[in-house]
Formats: sequence, structure tokens, C-alpha cells
Amino acid sequence: MDEFQEILQDFLVESFELIEQLDQDLVELENTPEDLELLNRIFRVAHTVKGASSFLNFDILTRLTHHMEDVLNRARKGELVLTPDIMDIVLRSIDMMKAMLHFIRDNGTDEGSDDIEDIVVKLDAITSGEGDSSDTPSEVPPEPEPKTVPVEEEEEEVDYSDMSEGEIEDEIERLLQMRQDEDKARREAKIEAGEAVLDAPQIIEEVVKEEAPAPKEEPEVEVAQTPSPIVEKKPEPSVTKEVAKAPAKSATSVEQTIRVDVRRLDHLMNLIGELVLGKNRLIKINDDVEERYEGEEFLEELNQVVSIVSLVTTDLQIAVMKTRMLPIGKVFNKFPRMIRDLSRELGKKIELEIGGEETELDKSIVEEIGDPLVHIIRNSCDHGVEPVADRIAKGKSETGTIGLKAYNEGNHIVIEITDDGKGLDANVLKDIAISKGVITEKEADNMGDKEAFTLIFRPGFSTAKTVTNVSGRGVGMDVVKTNIEKLNGIIDIDSEINGYTKIKLKIPLTLAIIQALLVGVQEEYYAIPLASVLETVRISTNEVYTVENRSVMRLRDEVLPLVHLADIFEVDRVFDGAEHTYVVVLGLAESKIGVIVDTLVGQEEIVIKSMGEYLKGMDGVAGATIRGDGGVTLIVDVAALMQMAKSLKAKPAIAQAASVAKVREKPSDYYVMIVDDSKTDRSIMKNALKPLGVTLVEAADGLEALNILKSGEHQFDAMLVDIEMPRMDGYSLAGEIKKYNKYKNLPLIAVTSRTTKADRMRGVEVGMVEYITKPYSPEYLMNVVKRNINLTMEA
Amino acid sequence: MSDKMKNIIDNQKKQQDEPDITNLDDVMQLVGFVVGDEEYTVPILTIQEIIKPIEYTRVPQTPDYVLGVFNLRGSVIPLIDLRMKFGLPSAKQTDEARYIVMKSGDEVAGFVIDRLTEAIRLKKSDIDPAPDTASGEKSIIEGVGKQADRILTILKVDTLLERDF
Repeated sequence: MDEFQEILQDFLVESFELIEQLDQDLVELENTPEDLELLNRIFRVAHTVKGASSFLNFDILTRLTHHMEDVLNRARKGELVLTPDIMDIVLRSIDMMKAMLHFIRDNGTDEGSDDIEDIVVKLDAITSGEGDSSDTPSEVPPEPEPKTVPVEEEEEEVDYSDMSEGEIEDEIERLLQMRQDEDKARREAKIEAGEAVLDAPQIIEEVVKEEAPAPKEEPEVEVAQTPSPIVEKKPEPSVTKEVAKAPAKSATSVEQTIRVDVRRLDHLMNLIGELVLGKNRLIKINDDVEERYEGEEFLEELNQVVSIVSLVTTDLQIAVMKTRMLPIGKVFNKFPRMIRDLSRELGKKIELEIGGEETELDKSIVEEIGDPLVHIIRNSCDHGVEPVADRIAKGKSETGTIGLKAYNEGNHIVIEITDDGKGLDANVLKDIAISKGVITEKEADNMGDKEAFTLIFRPGFSTAKTVTNVSGRGVGMDVVKTNIEKLNGIIDIDSEINGYTKIKLKIPLTLAIIQALLVGVQEEYYAIPLASVLETVRISTNEVYTVENRSVMRLRDEVLPLVHLADIFEVDRVFDGAEHTYVVVLGLAESKIGVIVDTLVGQEEIVIKSMGEYLKGMDGVAGATIRGDGGVTLIVDVAALMQMAKSLKAKPAIAQAASVAKVREKPSDYYVMIVDDSKTDRSIMKNALKPLGVTLVEAADGLEALNILKSGEHQFDAMLVDIEMPRMDGYSLAGEIKKYNKYKNLPLIAVTSRTTKADRMRGVEVGMVEYITKPYSPEYLMNVVKRNINLTMEA
Repeated sequence: MSDKMKNIIDNQKKQQDEPDITNLDDVMQLVGFVVGDEEYTVPILTIQEIIKPIEYTRVPQTPDYVLGVFNLRGSVIPLIDLRMKFGLPSAKQTDEARYIVMKSGDEVAGFVIDRLTEAIRLKKSDIDPAPDTASGEKSIIEGVGKQADRILTILKVDTLLERDF
């Protein structure tokens, strides 16, 4: 049973692969019906599927493919001209074959799949209806196959049983000859293509090996069917099968590939992700070590190792990514057929031009990109390209052209869909949107042409006057938008009335490891996927306008809605609002937004990690990543952020935190912090201030002082700061403190032995109010402090 | 010398004579900790590890008691303040504060506690189900353990790890 399952798996994988190419070939065939090579290729697919399915006991599938084969065989021999009507039926039968293969994959049997009688009759009509002159008994049996066909090898064999041995010999000879010719032709083609040629014997050997199980089981059936001796019969099935299977087998063996379970690749990718994080961490540590041990000899060596590890990790990551890449042609392949069907259905003449089908994309993206493309192309056929009469009236060529092109652009792949149809009319779009209640008139007035084009992606929006089979329900483009958003992609539309419509999809190459822009908001950091970042600009705060309670800014000729990241993520505004601020312009699918952040930190490779079931699906957060310093940084979910921005009202830039005025009744309610690394100095200051009766808190360096301040345990009225201190000196401390809004008015008094003018200047720059030089008299210090904390009471 | 020897032998003998408390089937091992003024316990098997407080990152749009997430050797894990979860006022973390990382199935989260007390072995027969008043559907109490001089509250880790917002 397991063996059967294995064979079945192989059969399905092979069949699906064959069929993928089939659609395109068939459409091509319609345009060039004389192309014998093409016809042969198609015939072989039908034949291969038939052979294998009969071996696996799929009677219905065998029957269908058998009849298809008949038609194709006749066409191949030039006895039948493939008219579009015949093509329709052939294509339908191929669809049915596909459906049946899917059915087999899901159910393990073809019994109970769709009824094929109808199509079989039609296929027969093609074969027999015009096939009276047919005299090809060796290949095509004249009468339709009876329904109760026993399990047998291939159609030809029924005929063999009637042949004499001499005839059989001839037939084998003929088939062998045919196969050798094919091989030869293929080899020549390969040589032309400049590829390495495998020795012919090797291929045959391989094929025979592959077929090994076949003769084992076959003979028993043969015996039951024919009276001929087994010895004579035995070699035959394998030879005939060889002919049937050869094209497919040799095609794969030349490419030297192995099949790998996608899960293994996913696992590999996860491991690489961890490695990338490790690498980030290593680089960070290297930087720290470099700073601390500047000039040491071992640094050189460490640097080399770190850069090698980092280089190899990057290469490894790219290599693994490549294993997951598929050419986008896999998706594009189905469109020629689709365009053909649509143009017949709509009565238009449409040509499809495909370019860049060899461009590669991550497998997961290839799977997601199919649907949106289908919708866009259907739209182009239905709404874009005009009927023939209209086109002629406009002086355009009869045949409309839809272009489908893919190419790489940095870390992205761009897919361009163009049509030379009637284009989009911004005003018409606006009117429809208003009438359907998608936007208000006021919104419409503020819209530029490009923005108006994006209206087609709004749910419920459709320009079609009636709902047709093809489009008009107003869901298709919404699907496009959602799917592209899911991939962190960007949609760009350009159009000219009666000229063209061009839709550009820009999609990141991979989803697992991404480049991110790290931004700072107050004391927090966030990572924004770089794929969604269009640009960053530095603006002054008075460039931000408020329109209808929303913040906006002018970016070149556009009005860009703005949102403060601190509002989205409810960050406490502890820092003072600076005069200048940074705006990160984000684009996702068709919309744009500006996000105000306080600092831009830089670009880093990040790996998306889930935050577990407990915190899954938090608004605006796509996940978390681990930074080089071991800390966790949240990743912004751009799509969600845009949604949240809509419901946010603009807030006044800085809400002054009304600090609760502390009631001070006695001198000990006043708090003064003494920051000095020398214990002696601290004691001297303490003694000097004792007569004031204020509460004193000590800190040994800047960092400790900052932590005490931030902990908020006491509200300080003044700080005495030494300049020379380990870890954080007095200047840096003052700089840090002044960042905070609420400490803006906290008097900082420098107490130092540095006396030069430059030192004093620097003290003033960072916001020190007084500058006391050591040594000083206790009374002087006391008076300075007293003055600064407005102490009026006497102890 | 012989006294010392005797002591050791006595001790060993004593341990051998007490198989009922070492028989794993009948005994539940608990870890006790303090949050606010009360002592709580959780079954030792639900604890993945106990670590000293490390830096964490705030996650927006979460209730107060979800402090954020932290990095535990490459995994991102939520951090929950049990004080706030139990409705107690937040207080400054002392040096004795710890993160207890608990797991149940695939769910893992860290919980901030004020200090650890001890590991406790309790006979299963000494554990009663949670008193009726506290055994509502969302009860976070698994049961109550009786010891000679006190009563221990055993927390239900499944409920603690359940997202309730």
C-alpha cells in the first residue's frame, strides 16, 4: 500500500508539473497550429498521463486522456486543423483533467469525480466527425473504447495482440527509431542552447531503471489478455513505456535537481534567522569592545573574525533564500490561457506580452501573488481594453495589448501590468466614489489624480455599470489590496485617458528576514519594515498643519497625512519637543502616510519573532525582534498603523504635563541632590548645607543620579553636580536631564575645580545655572543653593 | 568521631524511614513566593525557570499589568506584574524581586514577584480544592494546601497564562 502511495505521489507531482506548461503551449499552438514540435509536446503530456493513470487504475482519467490523445494525435499528423472551436473543447478537457488530478490528490481515487461523458462525446465527434478518411489503425483504434476496459497497459497493446510477431518487431523498431530521433533532436536543441549534453545511453539506462517495477507486474495482466508466450511479451511494455515516459524523465534528469520538503527549507530559514540575530549581536559587542580596548592588538584579529562571520552569514542567508525561490513564470504561465478565454468571452481582441518570467521570488510570495494578478488582468480585459469597434473609432490598432512584466529593483521585485485601453478618468472615479458613498465631496476636492486612481481599491467600488461574469462586483481590487498588503507590498497606479493604465506592484523578495528602519520615540525604539518606507524627511515643527483635526504636511506637490508614533503607541511624552522632527513616509499598497518620530537610529536586518499566544494580534505590532544589544524591539505593523491613524485625532504637539505643585511646609520638604564621585567632597557639601535643613540625596556618578531622578521617588528642587565623574560626567548628565520636559526648570549647579572660561561656557551651554569653583566657603554654597530653591524659611 | 558517624547514619536511616513523603505520586512539590503581603505557591513542574529581573520592552495597548516583553535566550516572552494583576499598588522592585517563567503547553510567560520563599513538599491529601466563594469560572486558585502552622494558596497557572483582555 505504501508503495502504491509513493507511486501515486510521484504520479501527481509529475502530472501537475506537466500540466503547468500545457496551458501555455496550447494557447501558443492556436496561434501557430503548424508547430509540430509544440504539438508533439502536448501530445506527449496527454500520453504520459494516460499511461501512468492506467497503470494506477484511474479508469476515468485514462479514458479522458485517451480521447484527448486521439484528437491531438490526429492534429499531430496533419489530419485535423485546430480551429478555435476545437481548441475550446481541448482546453475544456484539459481543465477537466486538472480537476480530476486534484480530485485524485484529495481523495486517492478518480471514482466520483466529474462526469466526463459529455466531453468524451465531443472529443469523439472531433476525431470521428471529420475523421472518415482516417487510416491509422496502428495508433488510433477506430471504435471508442468500451467502458469495461480491464486494467491494461496502453491502447496500442490491444492492437498488438492482433499483429503477427513480425509486425510487432516492426512496431518496436519504429517506436525505438522515433524515440531516438526525438532524443537526437533534443540533444541538438541542447547543444544550441549551450547546455551540457548527457550521454544518450545514460539516459536510457536511467529510464529503464525507473521503469523497473513496471514489467514486474505487467506480465500477469498480459497473459490473461493475450495467448502469446510471456517471453516474447515481456520486453515490450517496458519499451513502449519508455517512449511514453522518456520526454518527461530526461527533462528532469538533465537539470540535476532533488525534491526537498518545503518544511525543511522553512526550518533552515528559521535557523538562519537565529544566526542573523547572533551576528547582529556579535557586531554590537565588537563595537563595544573596540571602544573600550582601543589600540589593543587582539582587536585586529577579532575584527577579522567578526567580519568573516558576518559576510558568511549574509551569503548563507542569500543562498538559503535562493533555494526557496521560484521563477515568477510559474504564475505567469496561466495568463495566456486566461486572456484567450476572456477575449473570446468578451468579444475583444487582446494580446498578452509577457516579460521577465525568469525573475525569481520566494515560494510563499509566488503562492500569494497569483490571485491579485488574476484580478488585475481580468480588470484590464474588462474595463481597460475597449471593444474592437471603439478601438478603431479611436484610431487605435484593433488588438489591445496587455503587458505583464517582472523585474528586480533592489530588494524588491516589481510586477508591472499595463494595458493600452481607455485609461482611468480621475473625475469619473471621484463621481462614482461619491455616489457610492465611498468618499465625501470634500474629500474628493482635496484629491489629486493619483489619489483618485487609488479609489479603485476601495471595497465596494466598481466602475462597471452592470455586474458581468468577469467583473463588476467591486471585490476584485479589494482582494488585490489585501493580498499585496499582506506581502508588505506597494501598489502604484499611473494612467492616461485613452492612453494606458499601468499598475505597478512592488513586493519585497522575502518575508522571513527583513530590513528594517529603526526609529526612536522618546525613550522607546521601534522597527519599521524598510519595504514600506518610501523616504524620510526632516521638517521643522511649524511645517505641520492641522486640517479637520488631522495633522498634515506638504510633501512636494502632495498633502501627506501625519501621525505621531507616540500617539499610536501611547508613549509618554517625557522629552521636550524639539524644533525639528523627522517624518518617515510610509507606503503600503496604494496609501501613504507620514509618521513623526523623534530620532532615526539606522537600518538593521531583523527577524520577525512571534510574541506568543498571550500577546498575539496587538494593534499596530507585527511582532518583535531581538536587537544586537539583546533587547527586544517591537516591529510596526504598517497596515494596522494606517488603520489606527484614521481614528486618531490630532493632539496639540506638546501637552504640558501639569506638575502637581508639591506643598512645602518645612525646609526638609525641599530635596537637593549631590552628585560627586568623591565621598569627601560629598561630605563637605553636606556639612555646608546642613544649616539649611533641606533633605539631601547623594549620587556617586551621573548615571546613578539620572536613575534616582527618573525613579521619581522624590521631586528635586536643585542638583549640585561635579563635572569630572566616571561613567557619566556632569555635562552629559545635564544634557540628559534637560531632554526631559519636566526637569526643564530644575536648577543644576556645577561644583568643580575646572575653572577655565571654556569650561564655564560649556556649563552654560548644557543648562547649568550656577558655576561654583572649588574650593568654596560653606556660606557661599549655602547661599547659592538657598537662592536657587527659593527657600524663604529659616531652619 | 563515632558521634558524628552515628549522626549521619541516623539521618540516613530517618530518610529511609520516611518513604511516604518521598513517594512522588502522593506528593506535590510547590514553590512559594510573596506578592504584596501574601504568600502564594505554584506547582514546581509549571516553572520553566526563575531569573533575576532583566530589561523589558513595553508593549502598547495592553493592560497595566502586562509590563511588556523580554528576551529569554532568543525567545520573546511576555512579562506580567503579579502585583498589578492582583490589584495591588505597584511598588519599587527590590533586589529580591524575580521573574518566574511559567509554562503550560505552548504558552510561556514571565511573572514578576516580590521575593521567593521556599520549595515546599505537600502531601496531596493535604490539598483541598479552592473554597467555594473563590472557585468562580475565572478563579486563579487551584487549591489550598494545609501545613501545620499555615495555609498555602496554590495558583492555577493555566488561568494565569490565559489572555484576558
